[in-house]
Amino acid sequence: MARSVWKGPMVDGYLLDKADKARASTRNEVIRTWSRRSTILPQFVGLVFGVYNGHKFIPVSVTEEMVGHKFGEFSPTRVFQGHSGSGDKKASR
Amino acid sequence: MARIAGVNIPTNKRVLIALQYIHGIGQQKAAEICKKVGLADERRVNQLSDDEVLRIRETIDRDYTVEGDLRRDVAMNIKRLMDLGCYRGLRHRKGLPVRGQRTHTNARTRKGPAKPIAGKKKAA
Repeated sequence: MARSVWKGPMVDGYLLDKADKARASTRNEVIRTWSRRSTILPQFVGLVFGVYNGHKFIPVSVTEEMVGHKFGEFSPTRVFQGHSGSGDKKASR
Repeated sequence: MARIAGVNIPTNKRVLIALQYIHGIGQQKAAEICKKVGLADERRVNQLSDDEVLRIRETIDRDYTVEGDLRRDVAMNIKRLMDLGCYRGLRHRKGLPVRGQRTHTNARTRKGPAKPIAGKKKAA
């Protein structure tokens, strides 16, 4: 079931401050975050976030299309190595 | 013979049923259309006057996305997800279930027919 509209989008508050700060400073810094559950808001467009996947921070440069999705959707937490004996195993990590 | 929304030529069935041969129109929308045009349930397609066929056609053109347009919309939505690089897009690319279903067993609709595993021995 979809989230009620009256609640507004779910975002961890500290991300808003960080986004403001990143905008203020001219250097493009990666904003590291563990908040995979946060919705991507329009004011995040153009910034680069490092979204933690339990192992490392995956750089996600936010585009307009991504607004409304969650950060976690862009930072996969599992690495599929192929099945044993299938031969075409991918290189590790 | 009635030709509605492109190639669909439903024959001597009831209008309510015949309309559902159009991709994008099911029970709900067929009923809505019949109501808007003012057709009784028992009316069959071969009993329709040209004027009524025209009004059905206009109603569908105006209020509903059907057939090619609908298929294109759906394909575009999936393509958007795939280009975005989000989890749902990745699942579409790999042809695996998108909404968190299990894949240890089942998931045959998305994965297609089972492929034999090389080296796996059959029970004697």
